[in-house]
Amino acid sequence: MPVITLYYDDLEDLSGIDKNTLIKRIPMMGCDIERIGDDHIDIEFFPNRPDLYSTEGVARALRGFLGIETGIREYKTAPSGIEITKDREIEKIRPYFACAVIRNMQFNSRSIESLMALQESLHWAVGRNRRKVSIGVHDLARIKPPFRYIAQYPGFKFTPLDFQEPMTMREILEKHPKGIKFASILEKFDKYPLILDSEDNVLSFPPIINGELTRVTEETTDLLIEVTGLSPSVSTALNIVVSALAERGGRIETVTIDGGMETPRLEPDIMELKNNEVEKLIGLKFSNEEIITCLEKMRYGARSSENKIEVAVPAYRSDILHNCDLIEDIGIGYGFDKIKPELPATSTTGSSHPISKLRDALREIMVGLGYFEVMPFTLTSDRVQFEMMRREKAEGITHIKYPISEDHTIVRHTILPNLLEILSINTHRELPQRIFEAGEVVLNCKTEQRLGAVAIHPQANFTEIQAVMDAVLRERRMEYEVAESDDPAFIEGRRADIIIKGEKAGVFGEIHPEVISNFGLEHPVIGFELEL
Amino acid sequence: MPQKEYNLTTNEKLVLLALVKTRGLNPDNLAAESGLSVEAAMQAALMLDEKEFLEVFDDNQDYYKFTKEGEDYAINGLPERRIIELLERNPTLNIDELKKMLSSPYYIDYGLPWLIKKRWARIEKGRVIPIILKPEKGSDEKVIDDLKIYKKMNKELWTNNEVREVIYTLEKRDIIEKFTEKRRIIYITNRGRELVNKGITIEEEITQFTPAIIKSGAWKNKKIRPYNIHTPVKPVYGAKLHPYQRLINEMRSIFLEMGFTEIKGDIVQSSFWNFDALFQPQDHPAREMQDTFHLDTECDLPEEYIASVKKMHEKGGGISRGWGGNWSEDIARKQVLRTHTTAVTIKYLTDHPDPPVKAFCIDRAYRREAIDPTHTPEFEQLEGVVMDKGVSFKNLLGCLTEFYHRMGFDEVRFRPGYFPYTEPSVEPEVYIESRGKWVELGGAGVFRKEVTLPLGIKHPVLAWGLGVSRVAMLRLGLKDLRELYQSDIDWLRKSTVV
Repeated sequence: MPVITLYYDDLEDLSGIDKNTLIKRIPMMGCDIERIGDDHIDIEFFPNRPDLYSTEGVARALRGFLGIETGIREYKTAPSGIEITKDREIEKIRPYFACAVIRNMQFNSRSIESLMALQESLHWAVGRNRRKVSIGVHDLARIKPPFRYIAQYPGFKFTPLDFQEPMTMREILEKHPKGIKFASILEKFDKYPLILDSEDNVLSFPPIINGELTRVTEETTDLLIEVTGLSPSVSTALNIVVSALAERGGRIETVTIDGGMETPRLEPDIMELKNNEVEKLIGLKFSNEEIITCLEKMRYGARSSENKIEVAVPAYRSDILHNCDLIEDIGIGYGFDKIKPELPATSTTGSSHPISKLRDALREIMVGLGYFEVMPFTLTSDRVQFEMMRREKAEGITHIKYPISEDHTIVRHTILPNLLEILSINTHRELPQRIFEAGEVVLNCKTEQRLGAVAIHPQANFTEIQAVMDAVLRERRMEYEVAESDDPAFIEGRRADIIIKGEKAGVFGEIHPEVISNFGLEHPVIGFELEL
Repeated sequence: MPQKEYNLTTNEKLVLLALVKTRGLNPDNLAAESGLSVEAAMQAALMLDEKEFLEVFDDNQDYYKFTKEGEDYAINGLPERRIIELLERNPTLNIDELKKMLSSPYYIDYGLPWLIKKRWARIEKGRVIPIILKPEKGSDEKVIDDLKIYKKMNKELWTNNEVREVIYTLEKRDIIEKFTEKRRIIYITNRGRELVNKGITIEEEITQFTPAIIKSGAWKNKKIRPYNIHTPVKPVYGAKLHPYQRLINEMRSIFLEMGFTEIKGDIVQSSFWNFDALFQPQDHPAREMQDTFHLDTECDLPEEYIASVKKMHEKGGGISRGWGGNWSEDIARKQVLRTHTTAVTIKYLTDHPDPPVKAFCIDRAYRREAIDPTHTPEFEQLEGVVMDKGVSFKNLLGCLTEFYHRMGFDEVRFRPGYFPYTEPSVEPEVYIESRGKWVELGGAGVFRKEVTLPLGIKHPVLAWGLGVSRVAMLRLGLKDLRELYQSDIDWLRKSTVV
């Protein structure tokens, strides 16, 4: 999740809120403080609130939450008169598009940093790493409208950001750091998206890189912001960016796309909420006035109309899907700390799951027999499950598609190898060691219950483990027979299968010396594993 | 004052008798003289020491002895001595030739500087030119000879400055090293001597009761040897449950006491139950390969819910905006290792849509995370749900507060949180006195209508997923989560049952 850096001085300029108040109150607005520094704080905001990914957005929310300025922020727009046309071919490559002009900005290093950070966070959270949405910000003074959004052949050349020489778009994908990083987004296409001005100067090669020409500096006052993508979320991203810039004094102007649609569209969405919906979900009775106050603290517009409350949802809020989202914000505005916890009146009787009862019983038996319980990982590897055990690879094993380490490539289907691994990390500890696990394995995608136990000490032998296995089954009143086993993990002539109701249900015996050595052990080891 | 009767054991008497004729014995000799084993003799001696009949005197002495290298030099001579001896025989040898003739080429490296320092030879153009032949033994060599005879040298023996200097040099040259020898001597005290002089008679006493002694009543006329109840005992460790399992059992009991039904489910789940049923959009970052263990396998979807879930994701099912885009059955069919046990609870609720339901589950969840002290790719999660007419967010806070209080966390607070399938969402935190801070212990919320409606669940569902391992770290004082899963047997042995 994006971590936002807020400089106390910048935030105080924008909101009038000092460091101490910030640290104390911001967790109750909904976020995790990552780090508190001397001149800044790093905060992780949730992925449903991309509007909080900038200092400007946080300042706007905090002013409301702390009651400094409440209600909806209305952002006025004026037409810029600038037009942009869309090539038909682009519809197949990156069809969604929105654009805006911001004038009258005064940038300094902090505000440029905040804008760049906002852009990057939006690329992650809304843009899914630029695939779904990508944003370009340009110095409007360097380019001449009208603009064109077209599909261009990879051989087209221009100078990308941070480079001195023109490169073809193909070269950019191969050599430019951003090109290498995001090339996969365009791998299926033979033409690439490109935005040009009336004199064929390149604004951007979305979603990869801007042209060097339109770089934003502290001298920049007027901006063109374009958002391209694969979903209507382009509007959300644009609204979040322009409203943040407006918080710094920028004037928002609209752009005409293909002679028709004007963007950005910052009119609030209107939703209707009933008083009793709030009571039902939160569990507290609120008056309409209280609800309106809470909504206004969360920067909504709200008014009573007949028996409903009409809520104006700001255009930068993309997370309001349902009234429950409004009600959560009412709760936050009211203060989660003021909601008195109350146990539900629901009366039910509890019961343990049969598997838990079974495992509890097995634990009692095994502890009584002198075995310590262990709880190893269920993720393991072919090497441990098969090679080190001298066993043939089995069918029905759960393989992980993109393992994170060589040690965790499959889910175990037997417990014994894990128990031997635990012995192997305890070779420096006193003998005898006796351990067991009543745990789960996965075979053919189904979770199964197993009991496994091993013991290591100089006198460990077949008779000892047979007696333990016999005790377990006797305590569980399970009739069993034994049969010759061919399990290569055990020593021939000192191993046996456990047969219950005519079917193999387990194996026990003396572990094969090769297996003992494979696990780095030096004393006789005995063990059993039982399917339950 | 009447004389106190000293109830001495036979062994104690034997020890006193052994000592009375000597000026002190070490444990081995005491054992030999008393006819007891060293352990038995010393046990008796320590008891007698407490009664002030004898004194067990521990004395640590520092000595010098040869290092491994020093032992070699003691036999073969110092490197500089060996070089000069070779040169005496053949003065034309150059350094390379000398190296070859010595058993280790390092002799040259160690010997040459000393050869020069002692002015026995000088070096010119890669040759060693002797200054004196057959130099007299230096004071360092004399000390080495002495030590060769006596094996160890009390450092107190050297009082004169010159020898002290020599010892310092030898120690720096790694030829000798200090070591401490523990000596224990047992002396009889005057009190003990008096007691022996008054006369000690050895009579038979009972050490171990036997069936014969009990049946015959022979014990009535015999002394029963007392044990020193203050002797520290060698610990024995009984087998026990894993401390983590004990904690899990405690949590299970709390929910059972609160009237919850325990439920279980499969580790391998379809993306449908793990994500889609919970209204997690199909392009949600959590579903990507970075965070989830994806499998190659697929499974069938529950026919009756495909259409309703699809409609909710794409269009909002008439109550919501939905996520837009296309919802793909193929993606939903792909199997994963459950990333949370919510996959189990949502399926249970779907199968049990009639209120009231209070259910919980404590089992493993899997996330694609690299192992480090606070992250493991699998971990236990405590999942709970309450579904009933009229339950609300404040009841969710009530359940969580009750649970944490019963777990011994007195201060609980709730911060707003975010989960795609709950609204409102909270992150419960407890205050940990010892750390002086609030620690987040999971996530909770009221299931969104987008989750419940397509699955035919008509009443509000309060849900939570709590990190069990976090609690374990706090409770068991662990700094590394791996200890839970790759346990040190000594840690298990020494863990306490409280």
